[in-house]
Amino acid sequence: MSEPAFDREWRLVDLLDTAACEKVAAALAQLLGGDLAIIDALGDPVCGSLHPAARREPLVLELEPIGYLGSATAGADALRAARDLLLALLRCQLRCTMAVALHQAAAAGDFVSLAREQTRLAEAEARCAWLSEELDDRVRKQVHELGERQQALYLADKLSSVGQLAAGMAHEINNPLAFVRSNFSTFERYLGQIAQLKTQLANAEVAWPALDLDFVLEDSRDLLHDSAQGLERIARIIGELKEFSNVDRAVEEFSDLNECLHQAAVIVEKQLPFGVAIRFRLLPLPGIICLPGHLKQLFFNVIGNAAQAIRDAGRPGEITLSSEVDGKNIVIRIQDDGVGMTAEQIEHAFEPFYTQRPVGSGIGLGLATARSVVLAHGGRIALDSRLGAGTTVTLFFPLPQ
Amino acid sequence: MPEIDARRLTFKIVYYGPEQGGKTSNLLRLRELLPPERAGEMMALDTRGGSTLLFDLLPFGFRSESGLLVKFRLFSVPGKTAYDATRKAVLARADGVVFVADADRSLEAINRESFRRLADDCAEVGLAFKYLPLVVQFNKCDLPNAVPEAETRARWSAAPWPLVFAAANGGRGVTQTLEALLRSLHRRFDGECALRARHALDEDTFVVRAMGGG
Ligand SMILES: Nc1nc2c(ncn2[C@@H]2O[C@H](COP(=O)(O)OP(=O)(O)O)[C@@H](O)[C@H]2O)c(=O)[nH]1
Ligand SMILES: [Mg+2]
Repeated sequence: MSEPAFDREWRLVDLLDTAACEKVAAALAQLLGGDLAIIDALGDPVCGSLHPAARREPLVLELEPIGYLGSATAGADALRAARDLLLALLRCQLRCTMAVALHQAAAAGDFVSLAREQTRLAEAEARCAWLSEELDDRVRKQVHELGERQQALYLADKLSSVGQLAAGMAHEINNPLAFVRSNFSTFERYLGQIAQLKTQLANAEVAWPALDLDFVLEDSRDLLHDSAQGLERIARIIGELKEFSNVDRAVEEFSDLNECLHQAAVIVEKQLPFGVAIRFRLLPLPGIICLPGHLKQLFFNVIGNAAQAIRDAGRPGEITLSSEVDGKNIVIRIQDDGVGMTAEQIEHAFEPFYTQRPVGSGIGLGLATARSVVLAHGGRIALDSRLGAGTTVTLFFPLPQ
Repeated sequence: MPEIDARRLTFKIVYYGPEQGGKTSNLLRLRELLPPERAGEMMALDTRGGSTLLFDLLPFGFRSESGLLVKFRLFSVPGKTAYDATRKAVLARADGVVFVADADRSLEAINRESFRRLADDCAEVGLAFKYLPLVVQFNKCDLPNAVPEAETRARWSAAPWPLVFAAANGGRGVTQTLEALLRSLHRRFDGECALRARHALDEDTFVVRAMGGG
């Protein structure tokens, strides 16, 4: 089994990535009005640095601490309250993380029964929505207890994306499943019709047209062809999901991002329609330690989106790929002059399964995946788009200091 | 096979059985019956109506003289047949199973069906049912329509598994069930995990410590 098992012992870093951790720590430090560090079970800092004289509070989800909250300045009660707040957040995150991992395991093991489970997924979605409500509530209460008026140190957006992921998956898979199933039952009926010929072999010339077997043969071919396509589509969805959940498992290498970008562009270029061109404006870059496999996939997705945007505009266009070093970052820009996006599309662009294209034309994991890949590199992704004028996706990868 | 490293040994125990049989009730009562410092918080992924949607999880454990943290993670599966794939995924990697049957006479066929499915599911997720530490609990024995103990014992006399009669709601039979399973676990994994050899945990010590004594 390649997916992380839902029943593994989740570590602190599995539940809160560095970016989230920093956000939470900053908010908690503000509430406590002092220093604050989060360290993992082995005592290594996850964010902030622990003062040698710091007070520590353990973060216990099951039996043993998965990490500690430490502060040299905060009073014992305040620090414990902050710890409780962080624990409430981790619990919610744990539930969703486990729920999603379990869904993936269930889907991988038996995805034909997914159709039957659609209602369950809908329930799970409601559940996650409720979780984030509950989380909101708890955060509000705790913040109040700490005597401050600050909100906003939680991952509600992340939680709602989880529900969306589950619901989107069910929706996208259900459609092809339904027609494959219906095709199969028609085909079964046709087999019965063909079998009847056996009883009338002596009279085959009459029986053949009477049983309408010309039509049966032709329609069967269509049915099987369509079904194969439906299965292909399901396989593609599963593939995209895999990719989406794969970000934390890959080999790090010292690579030149220009090269990754180039390789991805070459693949897209092969599929470009007439009238869409790719232009390169790449400046030399220092090599960095990265996950080249994921980055190529990321570039491939984003360039693919750009090509689609030009296609959607129904006129010739150009994709410009540029790269440069700007002080502390490598900056990569993927720009198109295609249809552009509405304000609403921009707002939801990074949510999994958000797509405005018709069902079956890819499931909208492109930018969501892109974002998680960039985050895994400690980087950042920005989106700038104007309706009718085009879209620019800018990726920032920090250079080592 | 339980997960073991230098500091920690983790057993996964799954409560399996028909919907509404009392799996969640077992875990809830155990949380109250075990010493509070030995058990973690119970995590329930259920619907608002209270039926288990994905699973429940209750962790508990103890530290052996040798310094090993022996941890048990009790899961319960969702009951509804519509959740087949989820149930299998929860069952996967179990080291032991408690089958919670509903003693109500009218539910005998449903119990049988669920037990048969347990065997099938085990095969599908790669557990050797024959060697699986298993305890069968007949729950809701407090109800007037429950099949009497003697009758059930006679019917299951050929079965190799310990039978426990329980009323999980009120807590009766809940710890006996777990104890019986812990004994089977010890017998099955003592060798592989060097429980006696390296950690001075013979069967009785293992059970007593796990249940909060010692
Ligand atoms: N009378 C009686 N009711 C019980 C007993 N155990 C559980 N119940 C009830 O049976 C229902 C289902 O229990 P639950 O633990 O949720 O079952 P699960 O679906 O197997 O998790 C609940 O309403 C319980 O209160 C018992 O021993 N006696
Ligand atoms: Mg339950």
